[in-house]
Amino acid sequence: MNNLVDVAIEYGPTLLGGLKVSLTLTILSLALGLPIGLLFSFGVTAKNKAFRYISVFFVEVGRGAPALVLLQLMYYGLPNANLTLSSMASACLALTWTTAAYSAELIRGGMQSVPSGEIEGSHALGMSYRDCLRFVVIPQGLRIALPSLMGFAVLLFQATSLAYSVAVPELMSQAYSIGSSTFQYLPVFIVAGLLYAAISIPATWLSVGAERLLSRHL
Amino acid sequence: MEMLKAIAIGLPLTVLVTILALMIGTVVALPIVAGLRSRNRLIWLMSRGLVDLLRGIPPVVWLFMLYYGISIGAVRLSALQAGVLGLGVVAAAYLAEIFRGAISAVPKGQWEASSALGFHRATVWTRIVGPQTARAAIPAYTTFAIGLLKDSSIASTIGVSEIVFMSSQYARQSGSGILVFFVAAGIYILLSVPLGLLSRHLDVKMRKAVAR
Amino acid sequence: MEQLMIELNPQTTQPVVQVKNLAKAYGSNVVLRDVSLSVAEGSVTAMIGPSGAGKSTVLRCMNLLEQPDSGEIVIDGHCINAGKKTSPKSLAALRRSAGMVFQHFNLFPHMTVLRNVSLPQERVLGCSREQANEKSMELLKRMGLADKADQYPSRCSGGQQQRIAIARALALGPRVMLFDEPTSALDPEVGVEVLEVMKELASTGMTMVVVTHEMAFAENVADELVVMADGGIIEKGHPGQILKDPQHERTRRFLRAVLER
Repeated sequence: MNNLVDVAIEYGPTLLGGLKVSLTLTILSLALGLPIGLLFSFGVTAKNKAFRYISVFFVEVGRGAPALVLLQLMYYGLPNANLTLSSMASACLALTWTTAAYSAELIRGGMQSVPSGEIEGSHALGMSYRDCLRFVVIPQGLRIALPSLMGFAVLLFQATSLAYSVAVPELMSQAYSIGSSTFQYLPVFIVAGLLYAAISIPATWLSVGAERLLSRHL
Repeated sequence: MEMLKAIAIGLPLTVLVTILALMIGTVVALPIVAGLRSRNRLIWLMSRGLVDLLRGIPPVVWLFMLYYGISIGAVRLSALQAGVLGLGVVAAAYLAEIFRGAISAVPKGQWEASSALGFHRATVWTRIVGPQTARAAIPAYTTFAIGLLKDSSIASTIGVSEIVFMSSQYARQSGSGILVFFVAAGIYILLSVPLGLLSRHLDVKMRKAVAR
Repeated sequence: MEQLMIELNPQTTQPVVQVKNLAKAYGSNVVLRDVSLSVAEGSVTAMIGPSGAGKSTVLRCMNLLEQPDSGEIVIDGHCINAGKKTSPKSLAALRRSAGMVFQHFNLFPHMTVLRNVSLPQERVLGCSREQANEKSMELLKRMGLADKADQYPSRCSGGQQQRIAIARALALGPRVMLFDEPTSALDPEVGVEVLEVMKELASTGMTMVVVTHEMAFAENVADELVVMADGGIIEKGHPGQILKDPQHERTRRFLRAVLER
């Protein structure tokens, strides 16, 4: 126990620096991935074949392949195509792909659960297809999907811990390098684990709260 | 072809890790569910805390703790043991939540009707609530199993030579990274297809059985 | 008042709605066979009949929420032929002249009551926000709901929600109002509020087609009664006459079932 406190004090700043990188990676991937996800959510059922095939490919591979495979693909694979990215950029690209793929399905699910009566209502009022999407389907679909998107964001934050395998200096890789130089593996990983938990547990509560809050008017 | 062979060597371990972790998770989840449903505040709080902690820390951290951090005397866990155990206990927390949700999805009227008919508690669980819970849980359970299949790749980080481990090894040797990882991705997708089909099949079947 | 209703005889005025030879089937399940109907300006037509008779389907075909297999629909001069492809423009025009009220209200739950009534005016009629809100408030006041304007629909009772839905449809200035079992989802006591509003609407000369199970409304407010069964119209005419002396055995059976309850 004493050991734990010592480690926390001694290596706290380094680990917190790693946490900052983890959070940056999470936020960048969300900021890039969510808009693409919205696009794909229409793409997977689009009439335009090229758009549909591209969307289905990215959604299915992004959801079907482990994040670890996508990370290594971007970092170790892309250089074969003469495209060498920094570890941070390749991790960001991989996790953006994951985000876009999962959020596409979550958003599509949300839009599908907008009651058909409301869509009928807007048709009966003579509103155009575009207006129906813009004012009825998309706002409500996003609202319905929001809690599960927040839940996904927590999982994405945790998945950034895999970016250590492509040498991103995030929390996990800081913890591992401290561990391997001091052989204080257990306390370091416990402290790192608690830092992850300190973000993801409250964030999960937040997503549960959001679910309650947003179902008020439904 | 040579590439496919090199990757496929990892297949048995991927399947093994997934199945063992799922089994450990399912068994360990049951007492946790009981704790989450307990009226005793202390037991409830401890179960809740355990679930939150297990889910709040990334699996890779658990695996590293078990693999690098734990030693009983001079004996350390093997990579496979640490991988299965770590993924198993994390799975237990997620599965406990799935089971809890499925139990509370059984309408209250079913409990009331059961006690009105004078059933024993055991009978209620085995004949009334149990089967309905299983029906409600199976879609989420298979979805989770597919997720676990992909998460089994995390065991590669502590040196379990499953699909991703073999793929990156081959990629480093051969220098044909893009293709290797796409093939690896393809294998995971192919593996999850039968699970997905099974889930959909069971879901459709059960919707017919318990159509309301 | 009743005197006035009878004087507005359906035969003598120009029909606002005309439905000709409407037919529809889902696979081998025929839901409508050769339904023709005409609704005169300022008249109230009530449609009754057992469930599954096709009443709602006729109504939903009128503004093409359901696509009929064959037949023709004319509302306020906008003609739609089931055989031909309809342009989005003529579809929008047809829907603008027909206001629809649903059994389950179909309000937009994520907008306030005022936005629910104003948004369609802005998007469909191109009104400014101020114009729309002014009109909405006027209609809400008429429905006795001015104080609900800033609430969300889920905070309103079913009867209030249905009146909001009526205001939303009226705000677009329709030539005819279509009601699809407007009180079926409501408690009888609450349904009365909605029926009162509908009566008031009828007395202002609004053309209305009402699918309903409320026999008192059909008898006292409607000018024309249409009895449907098995996908077709089996009897139509003056409500009092049909209710007193039904010509068709199927009508008699239905009325007995409804009235002797």
